[in-house]
Amino acid sequence: MNADLEKLQETNKTELERRGSIFNIGAPATEAVTIRDQIAVGFGDGTVRFFQSGSDPKTVKAHKGVVLSMTNYDDHVLTGGDDGRFLKISSDGNIEEIFNFGSKWVDCVASHKDTKVCSSGKTVYIWTKNKDKPQTLEHQSTVAGLAFDNKGKRLAVSRYGGVTVWKLNNNKWTASNYTWKGSHGTVTFSPDTKYIVTAMQENQIHGWRINDKADLAMRGYPSKIKSFTWVGDTPYLVTSGSSDAVCWPFDGKEGPMGRKPIVVANGGKELATFVKALNGEKAVFTGFTDGSVLLAEIDESKKPIMIRSSTGAEVSTIAISSDNSQILIGDMKGSILLSSLWADN
Amino acid sequence: MYEGGIYRTNYKEIDMENTSQVPVTVLTGFLGAGKTTLLNRILTEQHGRKYAVIVNEFGEQGIDNDLVVDADEEVFEMNNGCICCTVRGDLIRILSGLMKRADKLDAIIVETTGLADPAPVAQTFFVDQDVADRTKLDAIVTVADAVHLSSQLVDHHEAEEQIAFADVILLNKVELVEDNDIVKVNDRIRKINPFAKIIKTTRCDAPLDEIVGLNAFSLDRVLDIEPDFLESDHDHEHDDDVTSLSFVSDTPLDMDKFQDWFGNLLRTKGQDILRSKGILNFKGEEERYVFQGVHMLMDASPMGPWPKGKNRSSRVVFIGRDLDNMNLKEGFENCKSA
Repeated sequence: MNADLEKLQETNKTELERRGSIFNIGAPATEAVTIRDQIAVGFGDGTVRFFQSGSDPKTVKAHKGVVLSMTNYDDHVLTGGDDGRFLKISSDGNIEEIFNFGSKWVDCVASHKDTKVCSSGKTVYIWTKNKDKPQTLEHQSTVAGLAFDNKGKRLAVSRYGGVTVWKLNNNKWTASNYTWKGSHGTVTFSPDTKYIVTAMQENQIHGWRINDKADLAMRGYPSKIKSFTWVGDTPYLVTSGSSDAVCWPFDGKEGPMGRKPIVVANGGKELATFVKALNGEKAVFTGFTDGSVLLAEIDESKKPIMIRSSTGAEVSTIAISSDNSQILIGDMKGSILLSSLWADN
Repeated sequence: MYEGGIYRTNYKEIDMENTSQVPVTVLTGFLGAGKTTLLNRILTEQHGRKYAVIVNEFGEQGIDNDLVVDADEEVFEMNNGCICCTVRGDLIRILSGLMKRADKLDAIIVETTGLADPAPVAQTFFVDQDVADRTKLDAIVTVADAVHLSSQLVDHHEAEEQIAFADVILLNKVELVEDNDIVKVNDRIRKINPFAKIIKTTRCDAPLDEIVGLNAFSLDRVLDIEPDFLESDHDHEHDDDVTSLSFVSDTPLDMDKFQDWFGNLLRTKGQDILRSKGILNFKGEEERYVFQGVHMLMDASPMGPWPKGKNRSSRVVFIGRDLDNMNLKEGFENCKSA
């Protein structure tokens, strides 16, 4: 095991909470993304706050209502709100309105290099470099998830009935449909881009192998899966939605077909609501309905470590700074823990 | 197709009792009945409450309210495609977004389009766990046009369903109708739906606190059904008419027998039973039990002890089609404890 991880295991919850800072924002934390040495968090009061170790967070009044979606874009964040605005925000408080959709919500955002994407209703809007007018992609029902592959050549759009994967060729987007009955939410490409996976409105996740559209149904959860994250080199797709972090192996030709997942980070009677990979390690942070967070290796024989104790409000976001030094945990009551992951010595 | 295998867990229900649920009012009604008038009142009146209003292509200009949410009435099937799992997908998404707001909402109002079947909206509150945890269906309010309702009931089964599903009916535009015609319309509504509260209005001028925040779905009102309407009325003309049947028993019921009968009834006949409600006196139980159903879905819970000095009688009401062929009376009688 990695020496740093060992060091981390020596610490306990009081340690991480003791050396960290706790902020009570008073509005649910909805999204968090890492921009260099800062972590930007969107809240239910429309603010985006930039957190950095050793200083007070910088508050940007961005949206009127809820920050529904957020992603990083160079050293900015892109946000979508229930005030119909799609914004580009810098940590010094500079707000650029990319588009205003009026009373329609901006449900999802995505970015790749200098391409900015958002969805409102059934339409996806794509702004490419130096172009004022967006390209639009239409769908048969409301868009519920957006994800680029790692090269930015394909854009997965989840919706009712499946996923549309748009491929960029000579500045033109062409659609390919992946169908599975039901409503599909958050979507992700596997790191090797061989699979796409969605979290459904039912208690299951669904995947497709991209080249032959083979289906992968991953079921048995007691609640909806609100969060997933890719962990390690295997890689594992680790999901929330159960009393453990459920880790599906995506190695080999067949991925998780016919295989059982590994389960780690048991939360007892609490359900996992948010999962986040620890970059570079085969380990995952799992947040639960009571606000507690466990760090676990993807190894059923290892004991997880308590990172944050119960706050009584479900964990809604976790982010790790890009140098793996800081962790930020946010919950539905707006309590934020920002702490150094590693003991000083 | 290949599967990743089934993952199972020992999961205990989360205790949600401490989480406050935002009440949701569903507003239905035929085109031109006066729904927009009512929505305008909710949005503009100084009622001192914070209401979010979910609308479909609301054309009204000049209403500056960031709590008006545009929805696309997206009705779709969940799970295996059974009718009871037909829900409003957009509603699940919008309600979960609204629950992330920093400010607390006093109520949420969901407008449905004129020809909409109210079932998917109501079912959303049963089928989706996140929605059920954070919001509760407060009442289905139907705005009916006193002038045109009778003909609409003949021509459109949606109109009949909107009356059948309602907890509250605003009988609007009564100023345009003769008194004896109002009585006729009133009786026609009663025949379909004996438990809805009927409020006669001009320009939907009922006090908002009689429309929003009623706790009507909490079933207390089952107790208040006017006795006249507890007599079953069988003189409807077509088999596909929506009618209601209700039964009363002063003999305590057997819980096991009732669960067997009622569960089986909803499973097999739930498509034709639009609404069911009841308050039950089980043998050996100190508490009242209440239930309410929408098609095949049902909620039941104890509701505290019986009021002192009041008759412990069980009452059930069914609203639906083809009720005569379900042996309801016989089924209910068989549930009486020996």
